[in-house]
Amino acid sequence: MGLASKLEGIVESEVTPYIVLSVFSAVMVSPIILIFFNSFKTLHEALSWPPTIIPSQPTLEAYVKVINSPVLLTLRNSLIIASGTTFLVLALGLPTAYGISKYSFKGSKFAMLFFLASRIIPPLSLLIPFYIMMTWLKLTNTFQCLIILDTYLAFPLMVWILKAFFDDFERDLIDAALVDGCSRLGAFLRVAIPLSAVGIAAVGIITFLWTWNEFVYAMIFTATEDIAPVTIGIFHFVGDEVIEWNSLSAVGIFTSLPAIIFFIFAQKYIIEGMTKGAIKL
Amino acid sequence: MKDSTFGFLLTIPGLVFLTIVVAFPLGLLFSLSFLRYDFIHPITFHGLRNYVEVLNNRVFWLSLRNTIIYSGGTTTLTLLIGLLLAVSAARIKRFSALFRTLLILPWAVPLVVSGLVWRWMLDPGVGVYNYILTQVGFSREPINIFGEPTLAMIGCILSDSWTRIPFMFIVILAGIKSIPPDLYEAARVDGANRIATFRNITLPLVKKSMLTGTLITSMFSFRTIDNIWSMTRGGPAKATYVIGLNLIDYLIRYQNLGFGAAIGVIMLGLISIFATLIVYYILKE
Repeated sequence: MGLASKLEGIVESEVTPYIVLSVFSAVMVSPIILIFFNSFKTLHEALSWPPTIIPSQPTLEAYVKVINSPVLLTLRNSLIIASGTTFLVLALGLPTAYGISKYSFKGSKFAMLFFLASRIIPPLSLLIPFYIMMTWLKLTNTFQCLIILDTYLAFPLMVWILKAFFDDFERDLIDAALVDGCSRLGAFLRVAIPLSAVGIAAVGIITFLWTWNEFVYAMIFTATEDIAPVTIGIFHFVGDEVIEWNSLSAVGIFTSLPAIIFFIFAQKYIIEGMTKGAIKL
Repeated sequence: MKDSTFGFLLTIPGLVFLTIVVAFPLGLLFSLSFLRYDFIHPITFHGLRNYVEVLNNRVFWLSLRNTIIYSGGTTTLTLLIGLLLAVSAARIKRFSALFRTLLILPWAVPLVVSGLVWRWMLDPGVGVYNYILTQVGFSREPINIFGEPTLAMIGCILSDSWTRIPFMFIVILAGIKSIPPDLYEAARVDGANRIATFRNITLPLVKKSMLTGTLITSMFSFRTIDNIWSMTRGGPAKATYVIGLNLIDYLIRYQNLGFGAAIGVIMLGLISIFATLIVYYILKE
């Protein structure tokens, strides 16, 4: 008896996993809840010690400030960059993944290896070459520049995930379409794509969120507020003298909101997509 | 047209794109690392001199050491907590969707925002977590976490782990879910307790998922600077100055692109060796 049996009792108990999960869920969610509350404080309250958790006089001061600042423009930019990237990733990724999955050719194994190797290269290693290329092409500080670079970041993994989805896709459905007189391209566009909508949506959402969160390339390649995404815009409230924590929290809520909404409503598909990509490594 | 030709045609746009944004810049990276390219002197061939200079640079070794502590710390913490959460989540019957949603929410927060949020929570002037530490008797005065080298590193590791635990949790949970339940039932009939089944069934069978999660987590935290940038920018006294910050400094501060490229190649080499080892190990399993 003693410690060992006590430990065993704790591990065996049916209540233990609930306690563990409750405690960790609280810790994991607390930063999000804290900035949510913080965004409704006045600047004065946000800067006072001891810190409060729930605002004593809730106000929309911080949100008004964000809406009247250039940060609003950077939110729009993020939307443009993330949508453009998602479109480009799907436009390039769907045919690539489908071709490799359903019509394997000499070298298709090698092509997949090329995609895997691209994922291992640290994006920071390519920063200086990209800097030179974008300067040559006179593309620095443009949406095109960030869309191309963000597509580079997401594309290799998304091809892997899409291929995993197409691998699960019934060959018979394609053959049936071909027998009905569909061309191979027609079968791809009118049968395979619509019937893989869930997987495609998952890939689209993951790409959108990744791009939305991207920071380093944006920091190097954007110079003005009409191009920079919100991950740069948020630093508007980090001043030399004082950090406006209430407004910064409001921007934090804005930036995390799309992902939180996606996670709550499309969680199953995002998880399926991510695990497919990770496990079929 | 043969089927294989059709397949090849479909992949051409993707492969061309990848060649432009991966193969070409990669070639450029290697070429640059052998050049003197510093916006002062004319661009000339520099042989291995950039590499020699990098390897003799004290700050480079410091940044490498910091990177290993940082990504090693994050990966260890993420793996331990991710495993604990996955094992717990696999056991419960009620509220599992709720807990899963709550636990993956941090993933929704951009890394650079996560850095700012943790900087705020740990701040000695306004931070809630710092205030809690003074209230539970941990210290009398608020602790200046970002003024003290070791604590600053711990702060960065905490913030990085916070955003990486969800992914590890999901990958390990998927691994546990794929274990046939009969195995556990058989073991329990034989009188094995939970600790024994964890050690003899769960652990060996989720090893592959754990390795995959470890590979991805460590690779990503090795190469990202987002949250460090928003927390400490490498300070205090270069205590959280990681290799990625070192590379960026050679672009935006010192404008020595040849030198920066050499660091880029070394970073790529280190990650490739590490990834090859783990992938080899995963495939062997």
